[in-house]
Amino acid sequence: MRYFEQQHQPPREGRVEALDKVTGKGKYAAEYKLDGMCYAVLIGSTIASGKIKNMDLTKAKQVKSVIGFVSHLQKPEVPGFASEAMIKASRFGLPIFHTDTIYFKGQPIILVIAETLEDATYAASLVEVEYETAPFNVDFESSYGAVPMKEAGKERGKLDAWSDAAVVVQEEYNIKPEVHHPMEMHATIAQWTSEDHLMLYDKTQGVNNVQQVIAPLFNLKKEHIEVMSEFVGGGFGSGLRVWPHVLAAIMGAKQVKRPVKLMLTRPQMFIGTGYRPASWQRIKLGADLSGKFLGIHHQAKNETSLYERFSDQITRVTRLIYNFDHLKTEDALVPLNINAATWMRGPGDCTGDFAIECAIDELSYKLKMDPLDVRSKNIAATHHPDNKLPWSSNYLLDCMTEGAKRIGWKNRNAAPNAMREGDWHVGYGMSVGMWNAGRNKTSAAIKMMSNGQIIVQTAMTDIGTGTGTGMKNIAHELTGIPRNKITIELGNSNLPPAPSQGGSTGMSSVSGAVVDAVNLLKLKLAEYAAVTNLKFKDAPEESIVLSETGISLAHEPTVKVSYSDLWKTNKLDTVVVEATSAPGEERKKYAFCSSAAHFCQVRVNIKTGKVKIDKLICVADGGKIVNEKAAANQMSGAAVGGIGMALMEERRFDHRFGGLIGDDLAGYHFPVNADAPIIDVSFIGKPDPHINPTGAKGLGEVGIIGTAAAIANAIYHATGKRLRDLPITADQILS
Amino acid sequence: MKKNTNFSRRFFLKTTGAFTLLASIPAVLKATYIQVKEFIVPSKRIVPLTVSVNKKAYQLDSDTRTTLLDLLRENLDLTGTKKGCDHGQCGACTVHVDGERVLSCLTLSAMLVGKEVTTIEGIADGDHLHPMQEAFISCDGFQCGYCTPGQIMSAIACVKEGHTHSVEDIKEYMSGNLCRCGAYNGIVESIQKVAAS
Repeated sequence: MRYFEQQHQPPREGRVEALDKVTGKGKYAAEYKLDGMCYAVLIGSTIASGKIKNMDLTKAKQVKSVIGFVSHLQKPEVPGFASEAMIKASRFGLPIFHTDTIYFKGQPIILVIAETLEDATYAASLVEVEYETAPFNVDFESSYGAVPMKEAGKERGKLDAWSDAAVVVQEEYNIKPEVHHPMEMHATIAQWTSEDHLMLYDKTQGVNNVQQVIAPLFNLKKEHIEVMSEFVGGGFGSGLRVWPHVLAAIMGAKQVKRPVKLMLTRPQMFIGTGYRPASWQRIKLGADLSGKFLGIHHQAKNETSLYERFSDQITRVTRLIYNFDHLKTEDALVPLNINAATWMRGPGDCTGDFAIECAIDELSYKLKMDPLDVRSKNIAATHHPDNKLPWSSNYLLDCMTEGAKRIGWKNRNAAPNAMREGDWHVGYGMSVGMWNAGRNKTSAAIKMMSNGQIIVQTAMTDIGTGTGTGMKNIAHELTGIPRNKITIELGNSNLPPAPSQGGSTGMSSVSGAVVDAVNLLKLKLAEYAAVTNLKFKDAPEESIVLSETGISLAHEPTVKVSYSDLWKTNKLDTVVVEATSAPGEERKKYAFCSSAAHFCQVRVNIKTGKVKIDKLICVADGGKIVNEKAAANQMSGAAVGGIGMALMEERRFDHRFGGLIGDDLAGYHFPVNADAPIIDVSFIGKPDPHINPTGAKGLGEVGIIGTAAAIANAIYHATGKRLRDLPITADQILS
Repeated sequence: MKKNTNFSRRFFLKTTGAFTLLASIPAVLKATYIQVKEFIVPSKRIVPLTVSVNKKAYQLDSDTRTTLLDLLRENLDLTGTKKGCDHGQCGACTVHVDGERVLSCLTLSAMLVGKEVTTIEGIADGDHLHPMQEAFISCDGFQCGYCTPGQIMSAIACVKEGHTHSVEDIKEYMSGNLCRCGAYNGIVESIQKVAAS
């Protein structure tokens, strides 16, 4: 990606890609114009379970500009799907166009391709399908009870060792499924540029992942698939998988031998690109009278599809935040006639943390202790409670202290249902969240020109997190080259390989690669400088100083070679370095986490059941903050997502017919501007000493993880009503 | 569709009356009529259209079903206007028609004769960005950027309409524009900044 830079103007403060975004120039997946491109529309099944008996295309074919169809009855060959065994081995998920079995309502079964979007849409409405129906089940609530659980991770201590705990909370928690709904609907433009070369413009969080998934299906070399994702209109996890529609577009392009554009509709986004699965949890938590936790038993179940099993790993977070001498975690999957679930922002931990943090709040009231003090007493502040490794850094306690100060925690009336303003009851709640801070192998390259301009490249996408801006900031800090002479290119599979942007690993992974690339650049330029000045010969990287104009030595700043001389002497064109950076031995010595504390003040109308969030405060430990503005934006945005999870989001099923109801943005509510207060975000800002060369830990997940529990706890404090099912809607408050 | 009857229920209901008449018509003609029903799929209507977008007049032949949003994105290559739902529920496609904010996905292109359409591509003055664009950059009023053109078009209208008296006022009048990244802090700040200047 080459970001638009206007060098004749003073550099704007803001993201590297800001100008492209505010002028509408940035191209998202569906916005490329290719010669001969045609339009595809997907048709979903209208039954939830059964077989396709017949497809009648007679009427659809009468639409003049229809070019072709793809279905299990008419399709180009997909070598990787040649047999049932191969389909299974591919782990692609839904074998689109390779089965007559219907697993869920809305399952894509036919692709209609026409010259225009209008014609394709109309023709799709004329296709008639006959089915043989079979019994189905989409009802999680009435199904989970029958599914037995198995151990999730090793048991610590003994479950019955704390049966005499002075205080015990044992409760159940239910969370409705949530859908990612990035504002950009998933889209793919597929173009076969030759028999064995494929070009994809795709909405994805990982261009290299798309290559890896698609290449074996068509026996292609990975590098013969170019994936372009310059601009990605949000993801939240939905772009971590290669979904059936991507393969549909590729098969469509093969079928009609032309580039095919396929953009899902918003209703199709409910059924085609994953969701956070519905969950049931039971928590049993015991403590002694001093508030010290004795043990926890955490059980969880989540819904999953019939054709692919997805565990949200809901109990993982139970092993992360607090010290429990006795801990038992169990989980189970509940298969239903629904599409495949996937990771959604703060996957698993968001769900598990809600139950734990609500249970701890409940326990605190039983103990008549401040929920803050109960947490402080039990947080595993020095060591990872499960693997016992020391934390590389963990400032969760500081996050709590700062958050409490910001909201005025001490000044609240601690008794529930005690603060009233007419019909409005006011309450305070808090919660904490944590996420295993990861880092993945990532490459970055730097190209330098004689005028001192550099281009920093990686294949990593920027889904709105500010990856490019972070890379630029790091390169600027380390080289002294002014920001307007640094260009960032990313989001293309031809660039140095990078993992998908997910699990809060993006900045943690790529920052190390940029640092290493800068070091390589220093060494290489010193080598060239040594041709004219021997003092640069074998200079160690830490002694080499780069600036806007040239290279010098830290201990002898007067020894300097300008870039123009250096290029002239060595007859250089462009200097290119590429570095790969990965986690190493430090992972054996330390445990890594990001964390956050959320505090909120709500106002609950006791007559209407309306919940208004007056204040939402988030304090996070994300290590070094590479780009403060974008990081704060991440955190406040995640908190907005948490408001949705707490108060409104729910993917609803019609149990009689097995389909979704309210499957558009009028039926499925996520927070609008007026649903969220101005969110107060702050950071601890201390670099992690070991995670990577910059000390930046990830942030995307911890911003949402504790939010819903903080809101639910505040609603309890306001009303005295303990609500354990999400979303908390007005009917629950009034019941 | 029932295979044995060879025509759809809707067609049957619609044509029952016609068949009553047909009963007195020779079999050959009846067969012709049944053939004719194969062509009930109406052909599309293309109309000549002159639209003015960002003060530039475009003359084209347009499908009568084409929305302003699809006209911009698919026919005029003005992809700055975004499709987020195609149902008037998200605001990503907001443009100005004669200076008022309008959802282009709910507007048929044929309705635009004699009107002036302004999109995100048309609000800057050459190299000089619109103050709202500048504010969105400096206040970081976006993340992924996909809802941003719609937010900016709505934000300009919000200021013009005078709904900027308080944070609550701004939030209320910007609630037709969804942002899943949740960049509402920066969006409100951008509008406050422009309203104050």
